[in-house]
Amino acid sequence: MFKTNLMIMRRELGYMWRDRGLRNILLLGPLLGILLFAAIYSAQTITNIPTAIVDLDRSASSRDMAGKMENAPNLKVVSYLQSYEELEESIQQGIIVVGVLIPENFGRDVALHRHTRVLLIIDASNTIFATNASTAVLGVTRTLSAEIGVRTLLAQGMDPIKAKNMYVSLDLKEEGWFNPTLNYAYFLVLALALNIWQQCCSIAASINIIGETGVKSWLQIKAAGFSKIQLFVSKSIIHITVFMVMALLIYFIAFGIFKIPLACKLSTLLLFTLVFTVALHSIGTLMSSIAGNAVDSTRFSMMVALPSFVLSGYTWPIEAMPGFLQPVVWVIPQTWFFQGFNYLSFKNPGWQFMASYFWALIAFALICYSLATVITAWKER
Amino acid sequence: MMKQIWNITHYELLHVFKDPILFIIVFITPIFYAGLFGTVYFSSILSNIPLAVVDQDNSTLSRDLRLAFANDHSFKIVPGADSYEAMETGMKDGTVRAGIVIPRDFEQSVKQGTSAQILSVYDASNLIWGFNSRKFIQEVINNFASHYTAEKLAGAGYTEHEIENVMNSVECNVTAWYNPNYSYANYIFMGLMMLVVHQIGLLGVCLAVTREKERNSWLQYIASSIPAWKISLGKCLPYLIANFFNYALLLWVSSRLVHIKIEGNILLMACLGLLYVSTITFAGYIVSIYSSNSLQATRYLMLLSVPLLMLSGYSWPRGYIPDILNSLALLFPSSWMLIGFRMVSIKNASWELLWPTLIALALMAVLTLYLALNFRKERKPENKHSLMVNSGLSYPRKINMLGALRQQLRASRF
Repeated sequence: MFKTNLMIMRRELGYMWRDRGLRNILLLGPLLGILLFAAIYSAQTITNIPTAIVDLDRSASSRDMAGKMENAPNLKVVSYLQSYEELEESIQQGIIVVGVLIPENFGRDVALHRHTRVLLIIDASNTIFATNASTAVLGVTRTLSAEIGVRTLLAQGMDPIKAKNMYVSLDLKEEGWFNPTLNYAYFLVLALALNIWQQCCSIAASINIIGETGVKSWLQIKAAGFSKIQLFVSKSIIHITVFMVMALLIYFIAFGIFKIPLACKLSTLLLFTLVFTVALHSIGTLMSSIAGNAVDSTRFSMMVALPSFVLSGYTWPIEAMPGFLQPVVWVIPQTWFFQGFNYLSFKNPGWQFMASYFWALIAFALICYSLATVITAWKER
Repeated sequence: MMKQIWNITHYELLHVFKDPILFIIVFITPIFYAGLFGTVYFSSILSNIPLAVVDQDNSTLSRDLRLAFANDHSFKIVPGADSYEAMETGMKDGTVRAGIVIPRDFEQSVKQGTSAQILSVYDASNLIWGFNSRKFIQEVINNFASHYTAEKLAGAGYTEHEIENVMNSVECNVTAWYNPNYSYANYIFMGLMMLVVHQIGLLGVCLAVTREKERNSWLQYIASSIPAWKISLGKCLPYLIANFFNYALLLWVSSRLVHIKIEGNILLMACLGLLYVSTITFAGYIVSIYSSNSLQATRYLMLLSVPLLMLSGYSWPRGYIPDILNSLALLFPSSWMLIGFRMVSIKNASWELLWPTLIALALMAVLTLYLALNFRKERKPENKHSLMVNSGLSYPRKINMLGALRQQLRASRF
């Protein structure tokens, strides 16, 4: 019996290799994915946000103000423009993300402690830029208003110590936990590559049953008296092994070459990936038992695989989704995987916390394989 | 002349309506994805971020600071997460996403006029939590500092007007343009919708020829006297109309039901859409002509969406992407469309700003149209060794390339 299993496995491996399209997708898809995403996110963090200053006053005070903006963390003053219209145009074209407009008579008004207004414009059409720019600008404005306020009070004749005490001197120390440099590459590159990998695996798994029952050689297989369970289990073992080899390659590139940090042990992550691979393969198998042909089976699998990354809450948090949708997104195994992957790669919360993720994926696999078995048996009756 | 095109269009349309899966892909899936993603991003702004406040000072001022966070809708203070250890545990298991640690001598330091250091921590394992928490904490601290100063000045006998004069002598007016609420939905949703148009457009039309090849009816087209351009036009027309319809429908759904900001010149958006769907439809048709079967065409095209979105510079800014990849991105219509559409719909850009995008998309549309209409009407010899699908005969068998070549040479001699 074991020999038969080995023969089926060898046959399946041969079929997978000789199917050029599938071979390209499985071998090249995830590898190209990780290389492409690593290149895209090679800058890693958002710093040097392009900033322009329109200084309509050109006084010592306005230059001082511009200097403060130049020293602000994460902002980079790339140009000094002549007018508001130029600033507006630059922001609309996307050349500038932060614009500072210092009005005429700024220096005189500051000296006379008259009310004056500095306009700080942030292009919020890209929220990644905008939230970073906004944080940088808020830090500058807090310090600036305190400084000018104290100066105003001093000018009104207040005692220097008393004037200083009027302003609460808060030093906000920030710590980004688990990803202290707020590195986008650490956050997204591997996750996006795994998203491509799971899509490729879904494509391959979706011909598990229909790839046999949908071709005429199925009659020969049936006539040969193979057990269907034996056939599909052997095929599945090869599929899962190939998927895991690809995952290993991705992890090697991510952790070995790109040095993406990993909080948990690699063995734990591999075990978690293996359990997910089985669950993913079970969905493909289920689709391949339902569909009437390989193209439809691929389409069914991809209907789950394509939107799954958005639904998984890896980027936009599940907690921010509407209440009724929150339990629904946990119905797809990709949500369990990407959430669990985030915990393992950044936090390593321990077995007790992760156990539910493992069991959920195992439950998915059991349900989908059972359903696929029942459907195939029913169709073949 | 038009009758032949119309007949082919009619025949293709029958296929779409008769194949339930294809019908779902062409007409139902776009609206399904719009509804699904619209629901996901409906809240569009993070609020009620689970926050731990570790108050080690327990003074009046520290309680005021805690209250400032409790009253801000961006945060929700997690009950019980009031020690450093509880905050650490909460951050690890995801029940806490941000934290504030108020040091022991906080009030004393403030009253003495020395700097009081507050520690703000945030969960940067998901940068959407991280960046937003950081920004909201800054806002709350800034407001708290302003209120503190205003109260102190009032206590010193300053009138409301005088306080206003002191505190706002230089008013820093921070304005967020185009997306004032920093809505995540305004930022990402239309990008996803443009990719839905892209994917659905390709997946529908990519079967137009492969289906005929699998049924051996493509031979009839090739052998007929109908010119290639008529066949192509007839086959593409239903998909072109359906794709443009889907594009318009998605804009309507996004604007009216998901409340995405879509402003700008309608005619400009229509032009962009027409050029975009034309390029996609004709490109998908070309793929269909040169693919050996439906499965291969479907498999390759399905994997395009994520790389195209990332490459376009729509989510991660182009200025931070290496130049070589930016140049590569210019070859794809999605890159032009995503950025161009954002400029029109969010930034209300005019024709003057959009002309490079329009020209690039027009060139791509003309090129794909030319290639689609001028395909060579010749039958490629059947590759008996490729994978057979849709109840084909068998899986591929091992081939002896050398033997096959010898056979061909021998046959050509006779």
